[in-house]
Amino acid sequence: MNTKLSPRTQVALYGLLCLLLFPFIFPTWWMITSSIKPISQIFAFPPELFPSRVDFSSYTTAFEFQPFARQYFNSVYISVVVTVLTMLICSLAGYAFARIKFPGANIMFMVVLMGLLVPSEVTLIPLFQMFRAWGLSNTHWPLLLIQTIGASSVFATFIMRQFFITLPLELEEAARIDGLSRLKIFWTIALPLSRPALAAVAIFTFLHSWNSFLEPLVFISSRELFTLPVALVNFTDAYGGEMWNVQLAASTMSAIPVLVVFVIAQRHFIEGLAHTGLKG
Amino acid sequence: MANVSLSGIRKSFGAVDVIQGVDIDIEDGQFVVLVGPSGCGKSTLLRMLAGLETITDGDIRIGERTVNELEPKDRDIAMVFQNYALYPHMTVAKNMGFSLEHRGGSKEEIATRVNDAAAILGLSGLLDRFPRQLSGGQRQRVAMGRAIVRNPQVFLFDEPLSNLDAKLRVVMRGEIKALHQRLRVTTVYVTHDQVEAMTMADKIVVMNGGKVAQMGSPLELYDRPENLFVAGFIGSPAMNLIKGTISAQGFVAGGTVLPMEASASAGREAYYGIRPEHLDLVSDGGIAAEVLLIEPMGAETQLTFRCGQVQLIGIFRERFLGHVGDMVRIQPRLDLIHLFDASTEQRIA
Repeated sequence: MNTKLSPRTQVALYGLLCLLLFPFIFPTWWMITSSIKPISQIFAFPPELFPSRVDFSSYTTAFEFQPFARQYFNSVYISVVVTVLTMLICSLAGYAFARIKFPGANIMFMVVLMGLLVPSEVTLIPLFQMFRAWGLSNTHWPLLLIQTIGASSVFATFIMRQFFITLPLELEEAARIDGLSRLKIFWTIALPLSRPALAAVAIFTFLHSWNSFLEPLVFISSRELFTLPVALVNFTDAYGGEMWNVQLAASTMSAIPVLVVFVIAQRHFIEGLAHTGLKG
Repeated sequence: MANVSLSGIRKSFGAVDVIQGVDIDIEDGQFVVLVGPSGCGKSTLLRMLAGLETITDGDIRIGERTVNELEPKDRDIAMVFQNYALYPHMTVAKNMGFSLEHRGGSKEEIATRVNDAAAILGLSGLLDRFPRQLSGGQRQRVAMGRAIVRNPQVFLFDEPLSNLDAKLRVVMRGEIKALHQRLRVTTVYVTHDQVEAMTMADKIVVMNGGKVAQMGSPLELYDRPENLFVAGFIGSPAMNLIKGTISAQGFVAGGTVLPMEASASAGREAYYGIRPEHLDLVSDGGIAAEVLLIEPMGAETQLTFRCGQVQLIGIFRERFLGHVGDMVRIQPRLDLIHLFDASTEQRIA
């Protein structure tokens, strides 16, 4: 449907959209601008939307105050490893549930889905005791393992299964006639075609892992092993007061990878959509 | 190229017998069409031949080998699917050469065979495109190209023209037939369209309810259907089939007597079959009929008549200058009448 709006209506609509945009843009804008303001100006009244004086010292302080580079690296590598492993494991599991007929497949899938019903807080203490008994507390192993095979991977498996179900069976049959094994069909046909679903899985897995706060807080006690969400709350002075400008500078830096992942995955998501459909 | 033999083929899905003992022999280089209504088991039979479905009982032989237990890749067949099943993320060239690439063919060999197949099918300028950048007809050609590149012993086609519009379907029908005449590869082609079957096949296998209703050359099936189902299925428009009783005066049905040659089976309940083109408009003799519908199609005219309570369809080369409601006289050609027993539905004469 192609509806032509009058210029007046268009102006009104754009005005409304700008108004709606404000609550979404403002916190980010405030975070970025406050990170380059001296601390005295952050809470100045009336507030300054555009900083009158720019001061980047909070960015250097963030790295001096605690091992922020190391913490940043921890977050990046844990999130990347978790995302890659989740994409691999959940696409395999989703494919198996969608395409391979084996006894009890549906029941097993239901059991897997039931994992979503258990709040992660409920399992946290038993998991802590388990990892401590294994000598893995205050290491990154609990963060890697729990996030890779935890609730988010159940959701990822569900998304992948639903996507693989929609892939035309004839593609796989053609591949069978072409001589491909099941694993090769998965790898060369099904997986490349599942980019939209993989992109969705990548986005939410990365975000979930990147923003994960409770598990690192419980399992990690050394500053060098902290991930960013836990590190951010440690930017406090000797009296426990917040170092707002430093914290906001660190927050600004911690938002960058999320934006990068989102932009990359979004492109694949759209490209992947264009690939679907066989006949026309 | 190879002979194909299906003997005693059965297929059950649980308690449902989808294929109930099918025997078909296909000669080397023959173009065989499996035709029948939806759910008759023709696609299942093709898939069993391809190895995509297991068989419950029976033997499938391709050439000298029994292939019951062989994987699809080891049967030396190539299949063209209804929706073409082109890999969307690969170019035309990659789609066509994928099988050879996977089987360890050299780059030169793959390129040569892909280029040769592309030249045959007029795809040479499209090799770098993706399936989404092609029209329906071009995709169809790529699917055939993929099959040709493999140089298989048997081509299998599963309703390959169903997704094309009517005009393109006619064009592609000719192309597939021409391709077969050029390559002479044994071909098994599934369709529900009896016109496709008639125009393409060396041999037609009409299937109904998981069984072979009849097989033979297109004209054998057209001229001498062995049972009521084949009589009604083959031919467009379909044969007129009227249930009634054979009598000494003719065939009595719906308050009228249809002419037929004298028969010894007087009193027998039967179906009277006459093809629309085997009715003639006559000035005297024949039977009186009221014109119910006139459908001019240019080259010919289709008329629907009512004789008593019986409706008949006729096709005539001559233009019909009358009107709906006119009374005319029609005469079935007596030597081209088909009779089928009312209970067994098998051919009597």
